[in-house]
Amino acid sequence: MSGPLQGTRVIDLAGLPAAYGTMLLAGLGADVVKVEPPAGDSLRRLPPFLDAVEPPENSLWFAYLGQGKRSVVIDYEQAEGRRRLEQLISTADVVVESSAPGTWDGVRQGNPQVVWASVTPFGQTGPRRSWQGSNLVAWASSGVLYVTGFPHSPPVTPAGPVQLACQLAALNTAASVMLALRARAAHPEGKGQLVDISMQECCLAISPETGAPLFLDDLVHRNRLGNRRDVSSPFGLYPCKDGHVSFLVLQPAHWLAMATWIQDVTGNDIFLEETFYDIAMRAQTKDLVDEWTEAVTKEFTKLELFQEGQRRGIPVTPVNTVADLAVDPHLEAVSFFEPTDHPKLGPFLRPGAPFRDNHGWWSLSRAPLLGEHTAEVL
Amino acid sequence: MPGDNTARPLEGLRVFELSIAIAAPSCGRYLLHHGADVFKVESPKNPDVARLFGSAWARDREDIELMGAWLDTGPYVSEMSAGKRSVGLDLKHPDGIAAARRLLAQCDILITNYSAPAVKALGLGYEDARQIRPDLVYVALPGFGTDAGKPYYEYLSWGPNQAPLVGLDELTGYPDQEPSGVATVAPPDYSAGLHGLIAVLAGLAHRDRTGEGTFVDGSQYEATVALLGPFLLDYQLTGRLQTRMGNRQPGSAPEGVYPARGDDRWIAISVTSDDAWGALGRVAGNPPWAGEARFAAAAGRAAHHDELDDLLSGWTAEYSADDLAARLQEAGVPAYAVLDNEALFADPQVRDRRWYQVRPNTRFGRDLFGGNPQRLTGTPGHTATAGPELAEHTVSVLCEVAGMAPEEVENLVKAGAAFTAMQPDLVLQRPYDRYLPVLVPNIEGAS
Repeated sequence: MSGPLQGTRVIDLAGLPAAYGTMLLAGLGADVVKVEPPAGDSLRRLPPFLDAVEPPENSLWFAYLGQGKRSVVIDYEQAEGRRRLEQLISTADVVVESSAPGTWDGVRQGNPQVVWASVTPFGQTGPRRSWQGSNLVAWASSGVLYVTGFPHSPPVTPAGPVQLACQLAALNTAASVMLALRARAAHPEGKGQLVDISMQECCLAISPETGAPLFLDDLVHRNRLGNRRDVSSPFGLYPCKDGHVSFLVLQPAHWLAMATWIQDVTGNDIFLEETFYDIAMRAQTKDLVDEWTEAVTKEFTKLELFQEGQRRGIPVTPVNTVADLAVDPHLEAVSFFEPTDHPKLGPFLRPGAPFRDNHGWWSLSRAPLLGEHTAEVL
Repeated sequence: MPGDNTARPLEGLRVFELSIAIAAPSCGRYLLHHGADVFKVESPKNPDVARLFGSAWARDREDIELMGAWLDTGPYVSEMSAGKRSVGLDLKHPDGIAAARRLLAQCDILITNYSAPAVKALGLGYEDARQIRPDLVYVALPGFGTDAGKPYYEYLSWGPNQAPLVGLDELTGYPDQEPSGVATVAPPDYSAGLHGLIAVLAGLAHRDRTGEGTFVDGSQYEATVALLGPFLLDYQLTGRLQTRMGNRQPGSAPEGVYPARGDDRWIAISVTSDDAWGALGRVAGNPPWAGEARFAAAAGRAAHHDELDDLLSGWTAEYSADDLAARLQEAGVPAYAVLDNEALFADPQVRDRRWYQVRPNTRFGRDLFGGNPQRLTGTPGHTATAGPELAEHTVSVLCEVAGMAPEEVENLVKAGAAFTAMQPDLVLQRPYDRYLPVLVPNIEGAS
């Protein structure tokens, strides 16, 4: 069974802020044509690289996010290339780009049938629409950066290497393109429209905790709290034999199980007293509760704590590294990693579909070599 | 609507939402914004945590009952459920679940992030739901999928402890410190909500082509691990293990957060090119360090990143973060003041693009909530009302949509199988309500 976007042609001119989204569109059946300049897409120059392979085929970002796409090289800085690109766009249902606002206005207006998605740091309108961005700048402008990190260190990006602001923009782009295609199908003349994605807004949208409505309501200036929360205990990261685990104990049943675990491991039964059932009481005695929580966690590895804690009905999770994920028993049991092959990178296991459907939509070819499909597409 | 070229893409579609906290509620809000009619089926016997949080100022009010109007006071109610209709049903009551099934029969889409065992126990798993509505687009967003045979199926997970599990916490912080984690926001919840939205839209496209329904099993765990692809490949192919690196990115140097004038004030700067480095030097007034040859190329700057951080910090600390960011941007350097929650209202983009919205609702007269980043300029999204009272729309939805007679609904309420709004005559006001016209641009028509 082929995906529901089969027959939809997407021209991908964008960089990292849309790449995960156009990969999803490809996985759902769209024909995604990645237009690259002769030197290759910017993602091809983003490490990590596989050192044994020559550029431009050595980037693992491109090996992952280029999947499902066809690569066409067009030098659209030159007049002939520009003509070819515009010819290609005239055959498209969707164009996705991440250039400065206004860059493609003429081409877009010449192709009213196209769903045109522009992904920029601050959107197509507003006094700062021309400001430049980055993953870091997006988080700074959203209020999230300010509250992430330890109180006596500078603010720090959430999961910096993952470039989450870009991935969130990409997800919003894919969803918006699908919405706009649905609107086009219902439109009497089949008109497309401009989709305006702002990375700042993509970060704002996932952070009501640091947003204006919460602040106005409680007037609490939110600060960096490090890796524990002060609303109760145990809540946050705790050291163990081989790293850290994360606890989130709020509900009475979870706390009773936690207090019992402390008693079983250390012999200390004080926490079984009813006074500690109260979330606020555990916030007041946080140092004590944290100390005895660590007396448990320091005895075990994170996997032992995860499995035994969950068996006891406590919301505890390991602070996993990428290496832990590679051997995670659940991901293995659901066959999350699938074998694939690449002419330069060789065989490897790739992360599979981000969700499963009962029709078997999801399908991705390997990432293309630079210009691999230039002849067949043009 | 023939001839209407601004009709939103999901108008006429109905959504049955069985949800808690963020993952499915955020998905429902997106669907609603683009035109769907979303029914949040909930019960005061087991309220959504977004309602349980309440509001600090409401704690001291004797007229606000804890299992009454309190459940409508939290800002998260409008943030997560603005525009939705709240249908109060006890799904563990035989008459309550029967009414829910009648409502489901009229819906196109079901979204849920209840744990998979809980949904199954209610008799609303996909196999049950498709009997009621064969062409249903059914999207489940539990922590670990819906397959009972898999290792983490019954494990407890909420957004704040999914993030460590999927590797996000380990990747957050400075390399010489323990992981600081993503303590305040919960990216896996929103990743699930956005993947869920895409899954719903794929299901609708499939239904348009084939008439068939769809089942999507959207594990939050897998949807977030999928974002770590390049690092999973790197570990597998080379054995290299990506870890946290503060605010730095490869190919960009210097990049980081630098002190600005004031207490705990900071500016974020990303020097993404050699041109940007030259521009930064000019903004700084061409100090000796800006002209040093060893910093001219990106590789040299990356090799001396710590030293550059010290030099930049000595310069930035003299200036207001916002002014310096404006000067750097003017010269072509990506930069921004690190905004705190008080500064967000004043942000020129937030104001000009009307991120925050004020819309009418019953409990407060009007309420404030954040926007939607999926900006379709030809068919703009729209959320007409703020958050609903718990069970506010039980009677209207069960009568108008599920086709029940008013007496039937009345009997359900008497039997404790359905609920209507609690303390319905108590109209409240946010403490900041009268300042709204100053704080949020263009709120007329929302009184």
